[in-house]
Amino acid sequence: MDDKENTVKTDVTLADSPEKITDKDLRKSWFRWWYANEIPHSYDRMIAASLLWAITPILRKLYKKKEDLKEAYMRHTQFYNTQAVWGGGTILGITTSLEEARAKALAEGKGEAVSGDVINSTKVGLMGPLAGIGDAIDSGTVQYILIAIALPWAKGGSALGALFPWLMFVAVTYIYGFYFTKLGYKLGRSAATEIIGGKNIRKIIDGLSVLGLFMMGILASSYVKVSSSLKWTISGKEFVLQDIFNSILPGLLPLVTVLGVYWYFNKKGLKITQALLGLSIILGVLAGVGIL
Amino acid sequence: MEHSITVAQALIIALWVALVESRALGYATLNLRFSPLMTGLVVGLVMGDVPTAMIATASIQLIYMGMIAPGGAMPSEPAVATAIAVPVAILGGLKPTEAIAVAVPVGLLGSYLYQFRFFLNTFITRLTDKYAAQLNDKGLNFSIIILPTIISFALFTPAMFIALYYGTPVIAKFTATLSGGRIFHILDVIGGGLAALGIALILQVIGKKKYLVFFLLAYFVSVMLQPLKINTVTFAIVGAIVAYLYILVTGEKTETN
Repeated sequence: MDDKENTVKTDVTLADSPEKITDKDLRKSWFRWWYANEIPHSYDRMIAASLLWAITPILRKLYKKKEDLKEAYMRHTQFYNTQAVWGGGTILGITTSLEEARAKALAEGKGEAVSGDVINSTKVGLMGPLAGIGDAIDSGTVQYILIAIALPWAKGGSALGALFPWLMFVAVTYIYGFYFTKLGYKLGRSAATEIIGGKNIRKIIDGLSVLGLFMMGILASSYVKVSSSLKWTISGKEFVLQDIFNSILPGLLPLVTVLGVYWYFNKKGLKITQALLGLSIILGVLAGVGIL
Repeated sequence: MEHSITVAQALIIALWVALVESRALGYATLNLRFSPLMTGLVVGLVMGDVPTAMIATASIQLIYMGMIAPGGAMPSEPAVATAIAVPVAILGGLKPTEAIAVAVPVGLLGSYLYQFRFFLNTFITRLTDKYAAQLNDKGLNFSIIILPTIISFALFTPAMFIALYYGTPVIAKFTATLSGGRIFHILDVIGGGLAALGIALILQVIGKKKYLVFFLLAYFVSVMLQPLKINTVTFAIVGAIVAYLYILVTGEKTETN
């Protein structure tokens, strides 16, 4: 394909044509994005500057005319916010492929074929849906599966309880984040459909959700501590309320507490601070009067 | 018990928190910011008592399960909370669940500091615009990476140092005198029960009501098998097999439809 293009654009000097984007360029940009990520987070542009910083080496290879390069730089100062791996990695790859297409079009004098607006609207259009998936999978599931595995070690006083989830999370997300970058570059905009609607990724997400919920069940059973301290005596016989609960269904009170808060979130949305205060007050009062 | 913390100890912990909250280690800081575990370990190393620190941190972790910060803001900063609560627990000899009582309010205050960081970065945006227009890559290194990092360190280091050096001995002394009484029974109950909040939040985050059955399955299996003391790695493998079987079954169903 490159050969065909070269024969067509006889009027374009070699110095003006974009350089080829290699795997190494993608790896470098992915690292720059991974590193800058939340550092320049601001209210008005969110993390736009991180993508700009990540992609500048690629832009320099693609745009050989100063005004084109400047236009590309300015394009990436605009508002942008997404999750680092599923959103950030994929969109970095897609943006690179779109910038490359635009640079080639410009070099052939057909700049309107891929307009700058297309690049920005693609970024803005994809950042939300991909961030939603990324937050739920990386921050919400993968991270907490690792923590759930390591928590008993922490509870036992071991440093491994802290090191294991951190190092594993960093390594795993770095690797598949770069995979998404390459996928985005290779497939262009259809990479997003692959991730949001693709059958295999859907299966992986479902499987992780099941595993995540399973691990939370394990954690809840041993770490949520709600038990009754109430006891009373009727004609010399002592009744302990917690013993009665245990004979009905062991682990009843912690489960009721978790499902109660879950029900609250379902009804009222994720009002964490209210739930925190409400639950503290309920538990505090019950403990104060001697029921818990 | 000696209720004091040295200048060096307070400074190292403050710098660690600044490193985490400035996000200066890239995406590696996501887990450092969302989970109290690594901060607890650093505090333990600095204070010379890793086991106590890790045990207290494990309790704090439970209330912060399910924190995901969509869009970047969180209602609480677990790392900030831990950096204060764990030294208090070590100095005051608190029970792990009692440390939560200190952690929760501190974490809420920490989230205001973090949002103030966004506010300060907003001014730097102008500089980034200017350097981008000049195609000044060195300038962009400065305005996108170096300057925001310096500003975050300048924001978090003194705040944390003052809270640690002057605050923790006072809180530790105060809480130590209350320890064992009625108030601490209440704090103990709240601390133990708040773990339910973290877990309910993560059930909500992972989503899909139809998967709740897997939570219940694991809960009752774990309650039944408690006397066997099965470790979580084993449970994780069982969970992975259950997940695989589920995918296998549902996958076949959609294919035959």
